[in-house]
Amino acid sequence: MSKQIAISTRNLSKTYKDVKALSDVNLELESNKIYGLLGRNGAGKTTLMSILTGQGFPGQGEVSIFGHPPFENDATLSRICFIRESQKYPDEYKVGQAFKAAAIFFENWDEQFAQELIEDFNLPVKRRIKKLSRGQLSAVGVIIGLASRAEITFFDEPYLGLDAVARQIFYDRLVEDFSQYPRTIVLSSHLIDEVANLLEHVIIIDGGRIVMDSDAESLQGAAVTVSGSASTVNEFIDGYPVIHRDALGTLASISIRARLTEKQKAEALELGLDLSPVSLQQLVVRTAMGQSAQSRTTEKDEEAKQWSV
Amino acid sequence: MERVIKVARMQLINKWAFVGLPLIILGSAFVFTMTIFWIVRSAGGEGPLYGGGAQAPMWYFMALGIQALTLTFPFSQAMSISRRSFYLGTVLLFGANALGLSIFYYLMGLVEIATGGWWLDARFFAMEWVADNNPLVQIGFYFVLMLLLFMLGFLIATIYMRWKTTGMVVFFLGLGVVLLGLVAMMILGDWGDKFWTWALSWTAAGVTLWGGIVAVVMAGGSYLTLRKASAA
Repeated sequence: MSKQIAISTRNLSKTYKDVKALSDVNLELESNKIYGLLGRNGAGKTTLMSILTGQGFPGQGEVSIFGHPPFENDATLSRICFIRESQKYPDEYKVGQAFKAAAIFFENWDEQFAQELIEDFNLPVKRRIKKLSRGQLSAVGVIIGLASRAEITFFDEPYLGLDAVARQIFYDRLVEDFSQYPRTIVLSSHLIDEVANLLEHVIIIDGGRIVMDSDAESLQGAAVTVSGSASTVNEFIDGYPVIHRDALGTLASISIRARLTEKQKAEALELGLDLSPVSLQQLVVRTAMGQSAQSRTTEKDEEAKQWSV
Repeated sequence: MERVIKVARMQLINKWAFVGLPLIILGSAFVFTMTIFWIVRSAGGEGPLYGGGAQAPMWYFMALGIQALTLTFPFSQAMSISRRSFYLGTVLLFGANALGLSIFYYLMGLVEIATGGWWLDARFFAMEWVADNNPLVQIGFYFVLMLLLFMLGFLIATIYMRWKTTGMVVFFLGLGVVLLGLVAMMILGDWGDKFWTWALSWTAAGVTLWGGIVAVVMAGGSYLTLRKASAA
């Protein structure tokens, strides 16, 4: 089976007044994969998703969803589901009515699945949406996103206000349902470690730029933290790109971008160094911080190097 | 087209807003007016009694136009509906609704005349100025009036959706300046008499025709505004 491209963008840019919300975003997302769209608050995640779903407008550039532009295109839009993190519902709607509306529009809507999820999340269907707590409101969006089974589904910070149990329910249900009904999922999040093992592909956005676009598998073990006495550590890491440095007295803990061989690992052990893997969250945080530090120090704009591992 | 119908179905999930409330507003306006007329008659009041309560649900339609947009539009975006389908479905549903209510007004007008103004010589539905016309003009007149108010609400709401507070400030300031200018012209330019002569020369058919044109222009304006509006 050849890989089908679900989403692609070309030179996508967007400026709000004098803020560059997106700059020169080029992406290709394959169908039937789970993507993580990661980044800090205000990095441009929601702006990007709005444009991809025809809800927002690009400044420049093009978006293509299954080969068609989404804007005002009902045939293409009907294959997408995107519930915003700050989604508004009609004032007088009860929870059940929102699901009733979703059942009208999403052709693959699975009512039984929706009912199960309502039970899972303990959602009061007769209550007005206005009266829901933040967590319950998130649950409404999660249920619409899951039960709609749209070919491309966006989850925009879906866990806000959800407790740990409810978040786990969401992750479990997502994985279960995905295995039965594969589709393209884009999970936007800043709680990175929690979603890390769901993701097949990671896209990191910072300051409107894509700073990483890489397979999750290849990110595993792509960076390592070396700790020990400062001089030994410095000697050992010589030549590798440094992501982050911590020092305390004569001790140092330095994260480098490297895939160590077994021989190198043994050598580190002999030198009395401690090796620990860098979590995806750390990698994202360091990458994002590195990026903003870089754009502060160097004036060169095109320098937002996409590094691949 | 299929999705346009679906939008109408979505709006109808809350039948209360489109059907229940207008009827309650109209019903209570009617009961209140008739009670007052009955008191007036009991106290020996003479001559025909006129009540303007029939327009009450029409003003509600303006609020409905605003509501349909500010709250339902962002939700419709989450339902992956194009702006065009949302617009057509909502206006279509509203149009059907307004037409139904207009026919209801006309029929109630017939009853009113047949019962000698609800046995009180009252005029609530069948104002002579409208009711003396043929049925088509009567129904058309009510319909256009409702459409005008709904479209006005819709237009204001789309301007808000697209330009938020700035849009509202500019819109209402502009409106204020225009109205002020008209008042100044009438008073200073001594156009007052001419204006009233002109205004009173209007027939129900004329209002229907020109009102219809204005409603269509507003409809076009709100669609073009909505096309570039975003929900967030």
